[in-house]
Order: sequence, then C-alpha cells, then structure tokens
Amino acid sequence: MESILSNLLLIAWLLPLASFCVILFFGPRLGAAGRGAAYVATGAIGGGFVLSLISLLTWIGTHGVSGGHHPDAAEASHVSLSNHVPQDVFHFAAESKDSHSHDDTHHGHGHGHSSGPKDAYFGDWYTLVDFGRLKITIGYYVDALTVLMFTMVTLIASCIHFYAMGYMHEELHDVTDHEVTLSNGEHLHRKGRYYRFFQYLSLFCFSMLGIVIAGNIAMTFVFWELVGICSYFLIGFYIERKSASTAANKAFIVNRVGDFGMIIGLMALWGSLGTFSFGGEKNAAGEIIKPGIFAQARAAEDDYALKTPAGMLKRAEEMGAEDPEHIGHLLLIVAGLGIFCGCVGKSAQFPLHVWLPDAMEGPTPVSALVHSATMVAAGVFLVGRFYPMFTPEVLLTIAIIGCITLFMAATIAITATDIKRVLAYSTLSQLGYMMFALGVGGWVAGMLHLITHAFFKSLLFMCSGSVIHAVHTNEMTEMGGLRRKMPITAYTMLVGCLAIMGAGVPTIVGLSGYYSKDAILAQALHFGKNNATWDVMFYVAAAGAAVTAFYMFRLWFLTFIGEPRDPHRYDHAHESPRVMWMPLVVLAFFAIFVAMPADIENFTDPTASPMVQLLEQARPDGTGLDFSGQLAAITMPAEHGSHAEEIHLAAGMIAFGTAMFGLLLASCLYWWRILNPEEVRSMFAPIYRFLRNKWWFDELYETIFIRPTIFCGRCVAQFDQRGIDWMINGLASCTRTFTSGFDRWIDKIFVDGFVNWVAARTFAIGIWLRKPQTGRLRQYVVFIVIGTMAMYIVATFGLTN
Amino acid sequence: MDNPYLWPLTMLVFFPAAASLVVLLLPRDSQELIKRVSLFVTALVFIATVVMALPGFTGGAHFSLAEDAVAQMQSVFQVSWIPSFNIQYFMGLDGISFPLLVLTSFVGMLAMGASWPITKHVKAYCVLFLLLETGMLGVFLALDFFLFYVFWEVMLLPMYFLIGVWGGPRREYAAIKFFLYTLLGSVLMLIAILMLYFNSDIRALSDEQLIAAHVVPDQPAALAWRAEKVAAADLPSHTFNILALQQLGQHTDQFSKSAFTESGKSIQWWAFVLLFIGFVIKVPSVPVHTWLPDAHVEAPTPISMILAGVLLKMGGYGIIRICYPICPEAAYDLAWVVCFIGVLSMVYGAFAALAQKDFKRMVAYSSVSHMGYVVLGLGVWSAVSPSFNGDYWKMGMNGAMFQMIAHGISSAGMFFLVGVIYDRVHHRELDKFGGLFAKMPVYSGMAMLIFFAGLGLPGLCGFIGEVLVVLSVWNFSIVLAVVSAFVVILTAAYILWALQRVYLGAEYKGPHPEALTPITPREWSIAVPLCIFAIVLGVYPQALFNYMSPSVDQTVDALIQWQERQVAEDVAGKKKGGEKQAVTIDERKLPKPGQQSFRVPPIAPSASWSPSRVTPDPSYPAIQESAVEKNNPIALNRGT
Repeated sequence: MESILSNLLLIAWLLPLASFCVILFFGPRLGAAGRGAAYVATGAIGGGFVLSLISLLTWIGTHGVSGGHHPDAAEASHVSLSNHVPQDVFHFAAESKDSHSHDDTHHGHGHGHSSGPKDAYFGDWYTLVDFGRLKITIGYYVDALTVLMFTMVTLIASCIHFYAMGYMHEELHDVTDHEVTLSNGEHLHRKGRYYRFFQYLSLFCFSMLGIVIAGNIAMTFVFWELVGICSYFLIGFYIERKSASTAANKAFIVNRVGDFGMIIGLMALWGSLGTFSFGGEKNAAGEIIKPGIFAQARAAEDDYALKTPAGMLKRAEEMGAEDPEHIGHLLLIVAGLGIFCGCVGKSAQFPLHVWLPDAMEGPTPVSALVHSATMVAAGVFLVGRFYPMFTPEVLLTIAIIGCITLFMAATIAITATDIKRVLAYSTLSQLGYMMFALGVGGWVAGMLHLITHAFFKSLLFMCSGSVIHAVHTNEMTEMGGLRRKMPITAYTMLVGCLAIMGAGVPTIVGLSGYYSKDAILAQALHFGKNNATWDVMFYVAAAGAAVTAFYMFRLWFLTFIGEPRDPHRYDHAHESPRVMWMPLVVLAFFAIFVAMPADIENFTDPTASPMVQLLEQARPDGTGLDFSGQLAAITMPAEHGSHAEEIHLAAGMIAFGTAMFGLLLASCLYWWRILNPEEVRSMFAPIYRFLRNKWWFDELYETIFIRPTIFCGRCVAQFDQRGIDWMINGLASCTRTFTSGFDRWIDKIFVDGFVNWVAARTFAIGIWLRKPQTGRLRQYVVFIVIGTMAMYIVATFGLTN
Repeated sequence: MDNPYLWPLTMLVFFPAAASLVVLLLPRDSQELIKRVSLFVTALVFIATVVMALPGFTGGAHFSLAEDAVAQMQSVFQVSWIPSFNIQYFMGLDGISFPLLVLTSFVGMLAMGASWPITKHVKAYCVLFLLLETGMLGVFLALDFFLFYVFWEVMLLPMYFLIGVWGGPRREYAAIKFFLYTLLGSVLMLIAILMLYFNSDIRALSDEQLIAAHVVPDQPAALAWRAEKVAAADLPSHTFNILALQQLGQHTDQFSKSAFTESGKSIQWWAFVLLFIGFVIKVPSVPVHTWLPDAHVEAPTPISMILAGVLLKMGGYGIIRICYPICPEAAYDLAWVVCFIGVLSMVYGAFAALAQKDFKRMVAYSSVSHMGYVVLGLGVWSAVSPSFNGDYWKMGMNGAMFQMIAHGISSAGMFFLVGVIYDRVHHRELDKFGGLFAKMPVYSGMAMLIFFAGLGLPGLCGFIGEVLVVLSVWNFSIVLAVVSAFVVILTAAYILWALQRVYLGAEYKGPHPEALTPITPREWSIAVPLCIFAIVLGVYPQALFNYMSPSVDQTVDALIQWQERQVAEDVAGKKKGGEKQAVTIDERKLPKPGQQSFRVPPIAPSASWSPSRVTPDPSYPAIQESAVEKNNPIALNRGT
C-alpha cells in the first residue's frame, strides 16, 4: 500500500520533469514550430493526473471516505504513524449529525481521532547531505491531504495545459508585440516561443508537486524556491516588456523576503530539533530512528497535545536561559512565525501581497495555474501541513494577517478595472480567507476552501483569458455585452462568480464556495464566541463576503451585460475555440460539485461531503481539540464545535445575507443602473482614490524599503571607493612622497652628492694630470730620469729604515 | 624514507612550469600553436587530477576513497630540502585539498581555453599562465609551511604581470594594488611562520602524534628518531611541518606561552591574527577586500576566472588547514571575530554589488559576498559543553568548503560569461545592455543558469553551500544567523536586477549592436562544463562530500577533542585547587606510547569560558582562579 502510493505519486511527480528536460533539449524540433512541446507537456501532466487519480482511489479504497462505507479499517495492514492499527476516524460521519449535539462533553467526534493517529506514509528517496546525526533528504509524506492536493493540482494543470494550447497559439509563428515599442517607433517583432511556455509550465508542475509530496520542510523549501523561479520565468514570459520583467523581479524578491523569515524558522527547527522530517527518519529496516517534528511537538503519549519539544528546551538551556520553558516556547513560536513568513510571501498575504497583482503580466494560463490555483495556495498548504507545530499565539497572528488581507484586497478589487487585476485581488482576498480559517482553528474549513477556490478561481481566470483572447484588452471599460458573443464563457464565468460568492440555499445546498465559506465563517464565529476580544474578525470576514459578491458581479456585469462600450472590439469578439472552452466546462462542473455531499440521506449535512471527510482524515493529530495559548489568552476552539446547529446556522444566514447584499448592490449599479457608478464614485472620492491607489502600498514600500536599500548600497559602494580606497591610495601616495623625499634629500644630496663630488674630483685631477702630457719626448725623458731617481732615493732611504 | 609519491606529485605540480620552458622555445609568431600547447598542458593536468580520484587506480599518486584512508593525508612524501632549518619538500593530499586541486586544474584548463581572444605577447602570457598554475597547485599540496610560503609567492608574481600587462585601462594601478595587498598578507604570514617555527619543538609529541604528523612512519622509527634526538644534545627541534605544528597546537602548550610580555597575548593568538589577516586578504573579506574589484575589472577574462575561481579559495584553504588546527585556542577565542567578518562581508558585498554599474564589478562584489559565507561557515564553533555536539559546526565547515568549490564554478562562469559579451561589444556598463536573450539565446540561457547558481537556487551548486552555512549559524549566534539569512534578499535583488538589465528587455542599448553574435563553439565548450558542474553539484552534492567531509569532519573532531580536553582540565584543575605540576622539557622526551594527550599541565579554570558556551561552576571561587592563572600559561590569554 505504502509503496504503491509513494511510487505512483513519484512517477506522477517526475513526469513533468521529464517533459521539461525533453522540451529543453528538443523543444524547437518537436513538430512544426515546437507544437509538439504542448503534447509532451500535456501528456506528462495528464499522465500525472491519471496516476494521482489512481492513488486517490487507492487511498479511498483502503481508508474509505466515511465510516459507514468502510467499517473494517483494520484490514488495511499498513504501517501507520506509530504502528497502531489505525482507527477509522469517521465514526462520527456514520453517527451523522445528531452525534454533534450530544458529544459536547467530550469534544464531539474528537474521541474518534484524538486517540488514534491519522494515517500517513513517509520515507526518504534520496539523501541530499548528511552530517553525523543531521540529514537533509528528498522524501515523501503521503496522507489524504497529499493525495487530494496531487489530484487537484494535476487536474487543474491538465485543464490549463489544454487551454494554453489554444491560448498560446499565437506563439507558434512570429509575433508582433504591440505592447513593446522600439526606439525606431516600430513594434517588436520576434519569434514565437510556444515550446518555451510549455517547458516552464512543466518545470512548474514538477516543482509544485514537489511541495505537495515533500516529506520534510527542507524539501518544501527547495521546491518553494523552485516554484518561485518558475513563477519568475512565467511572469516574465514576455521578456521584452519592461513591465513583465519588473513584475517578475518584484515577485521573486518579495518572495525572498518571505523566505528570509522561512529560513529563520528553518534554523530554529534545525538548531534545536536536528531534523526537518515531518514524519520521522527511518533506518534501512523501516524503523523510526528519530521522531519527526510533528511527533516531537505533539507526542502520542501526550494525546497529541502541543508542548514545547524537548530539543527546544535543551537548546534553551544551552543558551543559558534562566527559564528554559519560556525560551523554549519562544523558540517554537519563532519557528512557527518563521515558517508562516514564508507562507505570507508565497501566498501574497499582507504585508507581502504587493507582488501578486503585478504578476498578472504573465500570460493568462499562468495566472490561472500559478497565481491562483496552485502556487499561491502553496503557502496555505504549508500552513496546513505545518499546523501541528503552530502555537495558539502563532495561529492568532495567522488569523489577523488573513483577516487584514481578505478585507484589504477585497476593497481594492472594487475599484480595479483591469479584469485580471480584479481577479488577482480576489485571489488575495480568498487566500486571506483560507489563512484566516486556519488561524481561527478551522483546519478543514481552510483546506476545503483551498480546494474549492482552486477550481472556481482557475475557472474565473480562464474565462477572463477567453475574454481577453477575444477582445485583446484587459480593461473592463472597453468590454460590455459580450454575453451574446461568447455565451459559454459568460455562463461558465457566472458559475465561477456564484461559486466564489458562496451562492446556495442556506442549510440545503449550494455551489462549492457555499460549503467552504460557510465553514470558515462558522468557525470564525465559534472562535469569536470563545475569544471575545477577537470577535471583530468574524464581522470583517462577513463584510468581506459582501464585498466579494459585489466586485465579482461588478466584473461579470461590466464584461457581459449591457451595451458594448467599444463597438470595434465587440465586433471582433468571438467564442474561443473548443480546446479552450472544454476545460472551462470541466472546471465549472467541479466548481459546482466538488464540495457537495454525495450521500442523498445526509444531503443537507455539509460535513457529509466526501471532500470534507477526506480532509478530516488528513487532519493533523491533536488539532481536533481545544487548546489554549501560554503567552496570550487565546483558546483555539475545536473545529467540530462550529458544526453545532446554532453557530452554523447563524454563520450561514449571515454569509447568505451579506452575499446577497453585495450581489444586489452590484446589480443596482451595473445591471439595472438604478444608481450611477460615477456619482457614487464622486460621492466617496477620497475613499475611491485610496482604493484606486491600492492603499498606497507600492509607494510606501518604495519609500521605506527600496530607496533606502539602494541608497545604502550606494553608500557602501562609495565608502569602498572614497573610504577604504582613499585610505589605501593615501597610504600609497604618502609612502611615495616619503620615499621621493628620501630619494631627494638622502640620495641626491648625500649619496649622489658624494659620488658626484668624487667623480668631479677625479675628473679635475685627470684634467690637471693632462697638463704634463705634452707629447714632447725630451720632457718625458726628464720625467723618467727624475722619477727613477726619486724611486731610487725612496728605495734606498725610505725602505731601509 | 620510501617516497613512492615523490615523482607523481612533483610532476603534477611542476609539469606546467616545465611546459612553460617548452613554450619559451616555440616561435613567437605561431600564436595558435602556443595557445594549443598551453591548453594541452592544462588539460593534461586536469586529467591527471581526475585520474587520481578514480577508484582502483594504482600507480602514481592517488586519492583513495577507501573507508579507512579517506580522512587522512594520502599520497604523502617528504624529502629533506634545507636540512639546517628542517625545511622539507613535503606534500600530500586529503579531502580538503583534493577537491580544490581538481577545481584548480579544471578552472585552469577552462581559463586557458578562454584565453584565445588574447593576442598581445601570447608567448609571455602562456608562460606566465603556466607558472601561475604551478604555484596554485603547489599551494594546495604543500604540507611544509616554508614550501607553502614559497608557492604562495610563486603564484603572486605571474598574477601581477598577467594583470599588469594584459589588463584593462587601469591595469597598472590594479596590479600594484593586488600585489601590495597580497604582499602585506604574505609578510604577516611570514612573521607568523617564523614565530611558530621558533617556538616549536616536535620532541614534545607522542609517538602517535609523530606518526600522524608524518614525522616518522611507524613506532620503531619513532623510537629510533627519539634516540637520535637525545643523542643530538638538548637542542629544540623546530619544524615547518604543518601537520606537526597542528599536533603541537592541539596537544601541547608550546604556542600558548605569551608572546612578548609576561602577561600579553599568547604566541598562537598572534600567529592566528597574523595568519588570519594574511588569508582573509586573499579571501577577501571586508575591510581588506578592495583589491578585488579593481583586479577583477582590469584583469583579462581568463585571469578573472582564475582569480575568482582559484585564488580566493586559497584564503579559505589557509584558514581551515593552518589557522584553525594550529591555533585552536586563539581560534576559539576569536570565533566571534571570524564569524562577524564573514557576515560583514556577506552584507557589505551584497550592498555594494547592488550599487554597481559595471557588470564585472558587480560580479566581483558578489564574490566578496559569497566568500563571506566561507569565512562564516568555517568559524561557527558551536560545540558546547556538556554534549560537545560538533554536528552543526561540521555542517558549517562542510558547507563552507562546498561553497568554495561552488563559488569556484559559479564565479568563474560569471566572469567568463561577462567576458563573452565584453569581447563582442567592448563595454561592461549594465545600463547599456538589454535584449541579449533574443540575440544570443543559448548564451543567455547558460548565463541565467550560472547566475541563478550564484543566487543560490536549489538544484544548483550555490544553494547547498549557502544553506548549510546559514543553517549552521543559528546555534552559534542567533543574531548573526538572522543577518546572514537576510542576505538572501539582497542577493536576489542584485542578481535579478542585473539579469533584467542585461538579458531581458526589447533591444540592446549600447554600442556595436552588430557584434552581438551567438556564441562560438569554443565559448560554448567552456560554458557547458561549468553549467554541468553547477547542476551536478546542486543535485548530487554527495559527489563532493564523499571526498571532502571525512577530512573536514576529522579537522572539526580534532578541534572539539581539544576543546573537551580543555574543559576537562578546567574541571580537573578546579578540583585540584592550585596544585600544579611543573613539567620541564626533559620529561617530555620519552613519553609512553599510546598516550593521547601527553604532557599538558592541568589548566586552571578561566572565567572566559563564557556561560553560554560552557556551563560554569558557580561553586568555584573567583579569587583562587586568578591566583592559579598567574602561573599557568594556557589560561593566561583567554581574557575575561
């Protein structure tokens, strides 16, 4: 079982990598103009989807989706976390709703999964490095969440690959890029880069699946960076456009800011726990030799209650802390906040959200895949994965950040006119909802929203791509009335809008967003009831739901309803080819049904949905119970409490009411035209400007981060040349001056003077001696005689003495 | 002594120098021939170094991966060179030097291949280049400190001329700056060498230690050696043997005497500082790095590759081979300084790179930043009492060593790639490029890859070194860890910004647009091996660690054992109170074989074992401590 699942997923994971390599080396030669690259990439991801689906079915075959269908889980003879025979965690589902009400005393169905560990398979494929007891590996951690995410990612990616075959067809031949004007005033002509697009997509799919399957947090980080670089390539796909390459840089650098925090989190874990593994490190015989990080924070013998891991306490002692308990707890918080920092970057949460709207410079399939459904959701996924390690203090931070993001982004989306930017801000806002849900203790709610959102948001993006493809503009002010020209796009997009709004008949049935959003709001209300200080967050989230409905329908009305505002563009508009609209229909189907209960008997019970049940299987051990913070007075209420009738109903009605309000308002403004948008805008001019400028975040960051950094860089560079080098050169010139002075005074005057003096004397003597050289023979004879006599005298008298 | 490796290693090192004589004889006009011969020579050297690593290769020098031998010095030989000063012609290989040796020959070969555009005085260029290669190979192989110094200097002169003659417009300034900086470093090193030499006495070593230091081959020889020494009167036996100096530094207190005054810093403190400055100039670290940008900018492309790819590594090599093992006490005391300098270089280099307008200068500053990781990783002495868990430090040191190799590949690649466009358009201003992707797609793709390797992208070589170093810092100092993690943002910023300005964009903005032609096969064949290594090392780092980590781990273990002994002796000294054992040199003469830590006097506890590192014993009275300290040389220099 374990080997089947891990091998299936391994192949599904590596297929896109193989596709990447093939296209990298043979891209242009694959078919005419690289058309074959699309088939290779699509085949790879499609194959991945099939394998994922098989593994999902295998999982369900072993574990079932509910207790009723699968009473005898003991037959599954696989190894689970601590070799217990896994309990079936879904008794509660069979007991159905009424068990909720009478289970309050012992944490509802908490009895189902607080005692038995959840099922997860883990192991290592490959050791990257190891030092003594420390080891960094490439491995897998497979639980229901992994399998679900795998299936979701490969399904959406397959749809988008198909879609991109149509959307990118321009790249098959030479392209004239109308957004780039050269210095000679012409538009840029360039070769098509069809195959390259699919090459990047394949690399992206590989990296993304790497995050999903990662067996340890270091591996997550590795693929975290890789999806970052893929995102960089894909945002900057139109490398000739300055805006695109700038947006790509911005995305990568802002993500690196998040990674900075993530590295700190990794260090805090690594320095004290000595492992990154989620599940644990095994020896060759498959025995766990070192417990994973989750088991260290939530040990089975403590009933999976969160406590500071022993390694952190030890580390705190080594640091010489007076109160190791406290410092150890702080270390755990630092680790949690650090990891969350990475998620803030990747999932574009406040305050690192600024890169995502700019990332819309990339082609629309990229926006659909990378920047809505998968990569940006990886942050949420990691929060979900890392959930057992988060203390209530960290969770509260997550909730606050999510709450701020969901509201801020929703307000900005109201005023945006670029269709993709509206969707980008909507993505931010929805990611905020997910983070918020996780932060208030709604693990299943957050993860469910992650999955439902992936479907409806990729659908919305692809619909917008279809529109852009037809009218060649992103501006909604130049659209209108397109419903008549492209009905399939219009109505699938309507499905997306309804899903994101959370449309449904309260307490009975709804689209996918209805289930996930209700669950989030219910848990938020539940949290607010337990922590009265923070109940404001529920109201913000509920208000956000109204805004969501408003901006989504504003988008839909502006695009598809009313009279065409640009007749020329309208005339040229047409429905997209089949390869593009087929994926829309597929995704619309999922956007409607993905979270719906499959069981007719329990149809009105949202928790009876197979998706919820599967997620419930993946819930980290011990997070189904209440737990409270040490530093802050926070109680994380168990999620099942939010299923209580009064909470769920209240939240559901509020969500329905706010969403309807938003929808009505949008209809009044943009459909029935009861109110004139222009007048409303001028009425709230300051607010409009504030929103229109995106809360001035870009300007703020420019002023407080970017400029000072560049200034600092300049200072350092100047210091190098004016400071250090000035000193060095000064020293050199001092030395030179000194030596040349030395040269002048000592050498020239004393040494040279002496030498020259000697020379001059010698010369003078020579001149003087020249005088006797007359050339007259008689004179010489006289000299010789005198000389001889003198020598004789000296020899006779001088030497004898 | 039987020296089977004498000729293979000698030939390896001096082959380029000998070949340079042949090159001298070639006719001056046949430039192509001269270059081909030189390339052939460097390629042969590279093949020779690679062959050494092949398993099962016998005959000649080899580097064995056999379980028992891998951490040790291998292929060692020694021949007496200047007997009156105990100077030996002494070389050997271990897992620290071997990867650097291969890197040297590899980058040397590629740099020679990159020398084709050079047309001025080709013969002289090639001769100097080959001499330079001999110097570089020698530095990594020498195990005698004097020999090491000689090679260090041998390498300096050709480099000076290569920059000064074949460089850019400000070549003379750059060459002199390079020369003086390095010379300053070598002078300091020379002082330290002499300090260590005159204070060493290998008679104090036990038999095991003598064998480990390759002074004697085995036990009987050790006895004979000792008898000989006793016979030769009572003169101290000084040594330049680096391995012996390591043993002395770790097992005796010979370098712990105070250097100048009664209570001043110890010999090893001074030696460490002098050596460290000497090496750190080469690394280079802030604030002694300013020769690097000028030298890089002015040097011709292949010389920049050598500079960044190999020369900088000598600094790191010196620190791990010489500074730390010989002067452990000083290293422990100054660990903070070392790490601080590392982090400072990382941050400073990254900020400076951000502001550069010259492409090559930017790459040069990125080298400063990346080499900061090396210094940091070497310095994170995080093993603490009572567990003395050295795993994190091992990880840091391995990471640092890996980073040296990785940087050797990525920075050589970056300089080469900058050189490729410089050869075409003759300028390097970042703002006057753009759109190269369209004109030179293959080149741009490889450039992206190499620059991303520098950025530390997973899957490429830069990531492993950086991440291991950064992760190892936390247990040493949280502040430094956070600052070093911060550098990842700056690195991304300066590299991506440069890539955007050079490779992306719609059109080229500088002069000579017509010269931007796709890369030639020669250029391609230089860049591709670099790219392949960047990927292989990133995906399969064990390929390198298999060779490297046993030796690195052994170095760390030796240091940690030293530290454990210190702490144990601190405790023992505390228990014995003020009891001292006066030990004279005579007692050392015939130590019992098998004794590991021979003759180290019990050490008084010292207050500088700060609480964060060593659990202090509060029961120990402070007054007693200072009283003991006065008479104990080892305890003297820890400061309080």
